[in-house]
Amino acid sequence: MNRLPLEGIRVVDFGQIIAIPFAAQILGWLGAEVILVESSQHMTNRALPPFADGVVGVNRSAACNLMHSNKLSLVLNLHDPDGVELARKVISISDVVLENFATGTIDRLGLGYEEARKLKPDIIYLSLGAFGRSGPMKDFVGFHSVINAFSGLAAATGYPEGHPRILGGIFPDPLSGSYSILGILQALYHREVYGEGQYIEVAMTEALTAMMPESVAEYTMNGRDAERVGNRDKEKAPHNIYRCKGDQKWVAISVSLDSQWGSFCVAAGKPEWASDLRFIDAGQRLANQDVLDSLIEGWTLNYEPYKITEILQHVGVPSFPALDSLELLKDRHLIDRGFIAWTDHPETGWRPIDNVAWKIDGKRPVEYPRAPLLGEHNLYVLEELLGFSKSKIQRLVRSETLV
Amino acid sequence: MHLGALSKLRVVEYGAQYAGSYCSRLLADAGADVVKVETYDGDHARFRGPFPDHIENTDWSGLHLYLNANKRSVSLDLSENNDASLFSKLLVESDVLVLNYSVAVLDRLRLRRDHLKEINPKLIVTAITPFGLTGPYSNYVGDDLIAISAGGFAYASPGIPDMVSDPDQEPPLRANENIGEYLAGIQAATATMAALIKRRFTGEGCEIDVSYQEAVAMVMTWDISHASYVEPKNRSPYVFGAMPNAYLPCKDGYVVMAAFLGHQWNKVVEMMGRPDWSQLEIFADPGERARNWDALEPLIMEWTLQYTGDEIAKKARSEGVPCFPAYTVAQMVESEHVIERDYLWSFDGPDGQVFKLPGFPIRMQGTPWNIRRLAPKLGQHNKEVITEWLGHSSEEKNLTGKEYE
Repeated sequence: MNRLPLEGIRVVDFGQIIAIPFAAQILGWLGAEVILVESSQHMTNRALPPFADGVVGVNRSAACNLMHSNKLSLVLNLHDPDGVELARKVISISDVVLENFATGTIDRLGLGYEEARKLKPDIIYLSLGAFGRSGPMKDFVGFHSVINAFSGLAAATGYPEGHPRILGGIFPDPLSGSYSILGILQALYHREVYGEGQYIEVAMTEALTAMMPESVAEYTMNGRDAERVGNRDKEKAPHNIYRCKGDQKWVAISVSLDSQWGSFCVAAGKPEWASDLRFIDAGQRLANQDVLDSLIEGWTLNYEPYKITEILQHVGVPSFPALDSLELLKDRHLIDRGFIAWTDHPETGWRPIDNVAWKIDGKRPVEYPRAPLLGEHNLYVLEELLGFSKSKIQRLVRSETLV
Repeated sequence: MHLGALSKLRVVEYGAQYAGSYCSRLLADAGADVVKVETYDGDHARFRGPFPDHIENTDWSGLHLYLNANKRSVSLDLSENNDASLFSKLLVESDVLVLNYSVAVLDRLRLRRDHLKEINPKLIVTAITPFGLTGPYSNYVGDDLIAISAGGFAYASPGIPDMVSDPDQEPPLRANENIGEYLAGIQAATATMAALIKRRFTGEGCEIDVSYQEAVAMVMTWDISHASYVEPKNRSPYVFGAMPNAYLPCKDGYVVMAAFLGHQWNKVVEMMGRPDWSQLEIFADPGERARNWDALEPLIMEWTLQYTGDEIAKKARSEGVPCFPAYTVAQMVESEHVIERDYLWSFDGPDGQVFKLPGFPIRMQGTPWNIRRLAPKLGQHNKEVITEWLGHSSEEKNLTGKEYE
């Protein structure tokens, strides 16, 4: 039966920048009808570079078009009382509301959970904040580097002689967005049986701290703070990212079993390393990592990363190139699996886009309509979903509501 | 206490890495009845630690306590006929099977949908593998380091406002935690929920194919969107197009500070005691400050190095400039904010000590996640689960392995 899991579910997306737009997009991919509520008076990712062909425009931002695919755009001004009233009407015909304004903003607008559940008693309402919606830091502005710094994850990233490092990818945003999706799906599953909605809260700092159980356990069990070990590991050696032939090309290699080490040495054409007492077992390899790593890099420098990977994976040794984002889009495995999809767009043309990380029965369970133009679906929402008359819509258009 | 959104769900987990364990933990916290099937050697997380006083103890490994809370443990050797048959019987009673072995092992043990649907057509099989069940690299092996690298996260790190000082010599970077495994676990739990919702309509099970590489690449959406629209930024010393959005050394560590907007910049130069700089042409706007960052950075550092991270952050925030010191894990754990939100989950250690682990990143008000039991001992629930799920009396069960308490 070719049915998407969230068909028939309507989502209101009040998302800003990345975390909630990311989450709402995936709910859309899974079949929900997602109404993106936005305003030309307060644009977030539509105003972010890069823009297609370097030409600035509200429909040309990469962050917008690749994080709002499969949504409907409803432009309305939440500073206008009629705009808020319209938003309330949209909530009253929806199943899920998502927001990540600064703490308190959505409540001041009269669109918070307590109001929303009056409009739709079984609404599922998710609120995401940098530090959460309670506690002494609930009002702090939390850009991603602050989240990295507060959660302690930066302290567990970097080199022994160096300083805490900030991870890339604006990681706290898609991570907390991912947890949000899981929470929404569990709430929908529950609502199906019990008929009740609920409020869900996600804090970006807490999402990041959930990634670091070993550091937290080491501190609370033994009072020791996180160790920075570069790319090394306490159990495995070699375990690092090595320079390869080419301009800034790198390959990751991870050996945990002594048998893998034996295979590594043979495949690399260095049988003498296998009998070298400095590397004879994991304990020795861990103790002699500096010399081990420099010997290995002496070998990897002769080959391209994919070639090293082919040589090592052939004998069952974990290895893969450390890909950059452009290489991800070109990786033949990801393309073969359909992880890289393409969307067309009237202003920006065909562009590659990533997918969900799973297939079901061999297929990607998602659909990919393009991102909406700013305000493209105002008429659909007002006329078809809310049943407004033509004259009422005309009045709204003339006022300051739909901007 | 509410039983949780998934209280009627039965899950069997069988895996050799951490992603499968984290996936089923995310279902268990929401109320699912999760049976962790372990080999007689026990799950690897039992040996990973960290351990109290650094003494190996397979019941008190920190990672095991984290990944396997709320589960029951049944020890089976699937190469033994009796155990394999018990495993099949458990699957008849299950809604979800979470697998985390390589494709080769899954095929050998016939743990693929084609075979399992004969046993239970409604079973949702969630198979988590490094590179997925199909494609040219599906037989490749990998762990967290490989996943973080293959999914583009290592190359993207360190990320703005931190930066690589020497792109030719400084390799892509991984955090000292198994983030790639956990990402695969989150995406697997999400896919499983989507499949469970769909099963309400179809009545049929399915096979979910989750790839570590894709689970990491999926959250690199920001970098992928850049690559999709322009050539990706290279790793050469690189500044954000607007400054200061910076990571700066201070007296006792580092601070992150975002003060690229005009009014923020004016506050910063006031705090630095150099209000006249707001008139300087070379620092006139965010773009100019980025272009002249090599000149500006040392000037700001002269100021930041005189103060502690907390002093700078407090001062900056009182002026409306987002700023924060890089916390150690200790500072985070002991912070007023974390304590007031009661985020960390506390439990008693073997000698009555209080240990803490990260709590619930999803706070569901109607069906709150909860901890109902600590991580199990190996095989602790052999009798209990078999009696409860299969209705056998304990005498009838015939495990090949040794008996546990």
